[in-house]
Amino acid sequence: MVPGLEKILLKVQKPGRYVGGELNSVIKDKDAVDIRFAFCFPDIYEVGMSHLGMKILYSCLNRMEGVWCERVFAPWTDMEALMRERDIPLYALESGDPVKDFDIIGFTLQYELSYSNVLNMLDLAGVPLLASERRGLSQLVVAGGPCACNPEPLADFVDLFFLGEGEEMDCELVELYRAHKKKGSSREEFLREAAHIPGVYVPSLYEVKYGEDGTIASVTPHSGAPKKVTKRLMLQMDQSFFPKSFVVPYLEIVHDRAVAEVFRGCIRGCRFCQAGFLYRPLREKSVETVNRQCRSLCETTGYDEISLSSLSTSDYSKLNSLLDELLTWTKEEKTGISLPSLRVDNFSTEVMDKISSVRRSGLTFAPEAGTQRLRDVINKNVTEEELMKTVTTAFSGGWSSVKLYFMIGLPTETLDDVAGIAALGQKVVDAFYANPNKKKGKGVSVTLSASGFVPKAFTPFQWEPQDTIEMLHEKQRHLVSSVTTRKIICNYHDADTSFMEAVFARGDRRLGPVLLEAHRLGCKFDGWNDYFSLARWRQAFEACGVSPEFYANRRRSFDEILPWDHLDYGVSKEFFRRECEKAYAASTTPNCREKCSACGAACFQGGICYENR
Amino acid sequence: MKTVRVWFRKTGAACYISHLDLTHCMARALHRSRIPLWYTQGFNPRAHMVFALPLPLGMEGARESVDIKIEEEQITMEEVQERLIRSLPATLPVIAVTEPKMKPGKIAWASYRLRLEPEQGSVEELAEKLNALLAQPEIPVDKHTKSGMAHFDLKPYLEELSASQEKETLKLSLFLPAGSEKNISPFLLTEALTAQQEAMFFCRSVRTNLYDADRKIFE
Repeated sequence: MVPGLEKILLKVQKPGRYVGGELNSVIKDKDAVDIRFAFCFPDIYEVGMSHLGMKILYSCLNRMEGVWCERVFAPWTDMEALMRERDIPLYALESGDPVKDFDIIGFTLQYELSYSNVLNMLDLAGVPLLASERRGLSQLVVAGGPCACNPEPLADFVDLFFLGEGEEMDCELVELYRAHKKKGSSREEFLREAAHIPGVYVPSLYEVKYGEDGTIASVTPHSGAPKKVTKRLMLQMDQSFFPKSFVVPYLEIVHDRAVAEVFRGCIRGCRFCQAGFLYRPLREKSVETVNRQCRSLCETTGYDEISLSSLSTSDYSKLNSLLDELLTWTKEEKTGISLPSLRVDNFSTEVMDKISSVRRSGLTFAPEAGTQRLRDVINKNVTEEELMKTVTTAFSGGWSSVKLYFMIGLPTETLDDVAGIAALGQKVVDAFYANPNKKKGKGVSVTLSASGFVPKAFTPFQWEPQDTIEMLHEKQRHLVSSVTTRKIICNYHDADTSFMEAVFARGDRRLGPVLLEAHRLGCKFDGWNDYFSLARWRQAFEACGVSPEFYANRRRSFDEILPWDHLDYGVSKEFFRRECEKAYAASTTPNCREKCSACGAACFQGGICYENR
Repeated sequence: MKTVRVWFRKTGAACYISHLDLTHCMARALHRSRIPLWYTQGFNPRAHMVFALPLPLGMEGARESVDIKIEEEQITMEEVQERLIRSLPATLPVIAVTEPKMKPGKIAWASYRLRLEPEQGSVEELAEKLNALLAQPEIPVDKHTKSGMAHFDLKPYLEELSASQEKETLKLSLFLPAGSEKNISPFLLTEALTAQQEAMFFCRSVRTNLYDADRKIFE
């Protein structure tokens, strides 16, 4: 155990976060490995341990001979204060060794508001924050995950980014590192070669110039770095690495269950959804693969619940046969199956009966917008009729609570669209009482959850301004005042955090000094409402002379050079522009299964782009 | 269907697992072990598990127990033990599986061993502070209970306290009322020592055993 650790553990909340030793965690002989990899999740243990990507890459890297990958999470503020007071540096959970002694320090970037934690974790580890201040080959800071698609705000701190899926790319990078460590290369020599691994982006090899209006004038590669870096992806999902076991935490985490991935990508093309474009094209696993992986996970972990994960699980083309296959053993083993992402338009009684045969969880749907016009603008392709049919099916099946997700602040939105959210909620309540088989004395509960729209890179709305905080507040008030029944519970996300998320989602390298200043002012855990302070962030922006509104609330022109234009996720800028113009005309685009819309993802030579439709 | 009592120790890092998390951990271990269990017959079938007495967070347990219900014709007690050893982490070793002789409700006493390492001053000074605490006319303490805060005098419960010095640690052993009727944590003593005598120390603690009202060992 880490020296001095046991003396502080009983002074903090949930000490189980900080001790490691969980079932299936990987312990290797320090003397028998030559590469130490610290896999850092910039949030607390319970959040990070729920993340599937980390589980996959942890097992994938530990499968490599001579490589030991360990887990690191952000300590909660009580623990951090004691660690700083007693000079205990950030350590990895498996060995207890300080992160500063590791070869490679990797971060996964799941949301923009975790950037302050990335800096704080490096600081707590005693690693220089700025990439330019780190010498030698060790303490190489790398990062991947969805936010790496616009990594520019972190360009000052991270040596290299992984674009896309890491199963192959991360291992190739580690092998290259090993070769250079043996040779005794300098950091610069290594980075120049790393830039040639497809999918690896080395920001220090690109020079960014800005024009007088503050927009980007040019991005120029040097030292032989490629002009465009294209994301990596796994094309054969059945052959792609998937762990046989998960580390099983002692304490309860956010998603405490076995997770099987049924496919990557999404056929839908909702215009606000970054994931829907980043992970194109859709690539499914076979029923046999998913079934085998579920079985193996349940056996090695003891979990009695399986979540079938993907961006939209009811779009899995073989969902019914997968459920049949799973039910042949899950029923007997008292194992429940949950489908986290159901769509309104293809939810069937058959699926419902299958998942409720053992255990039943709540039902959640995401119509995203309150009126048909606005749903067409965002290309949600869900009708009110379908929603009503679905909730009626659910109510007659015995469900009595439904949660509906919406966004406010979408492009072209009016107050009537906002009122439409409440009206839709009311219609769902009415559908419950219209059900003739409803049990006596049982009430209905409809939760409407509204988050503020954040325009993201690599979406058709990447040029859109975000509503100002004042506009979002007005819409929130309008939504609450439009609800007239106590059967509807209405909640909304904090507009301040949506604003800051929007700034970093489309930010450039000039946000680096702001991040550094915000860190100095004590910004951390910004994804946690009780810790986020917009005032502190504004202070950091002011100190650096940077306007956050320039990034969040400005409409960009179609010909502006965007900070992420030198990165390529397969979907073309022309396609995004076409989709944006169709959005203004409230015109929808068919999904990938119905018809190809030539987004560009076919360049990867696989997935749904090459299937018979 | 038959109830068996699984005896285990909670050691090392496992002492930082709360009782609630221990129940989840045990449930998963049982599931992994594929021991034929008897499940509750409700809408959400669950394996039956009754722990004799929860341990406070941060305390090790030398002789903990959990009762489970098995389909007896399908498995022997030896096999239950073997399979559980394989399914539980090394910090939760199973030491025996027996037929339960007493009901957990009969538990009335527990024995504890505490090791105090001074973080300020010497072990002799710490021992003096302990003696000063015990010499107080009373040792007022507060305890969270279901019906709010209870305020009482700890002194009468410390008659069986014995202390000895071993190198740089002060070893205490004590018997305290335990169980569903009345439960007094030894941490009340260490907290009082810090609060009322300003002693600074790090404490390791183990619950060594459980007893009924007649001080017969819980079996």
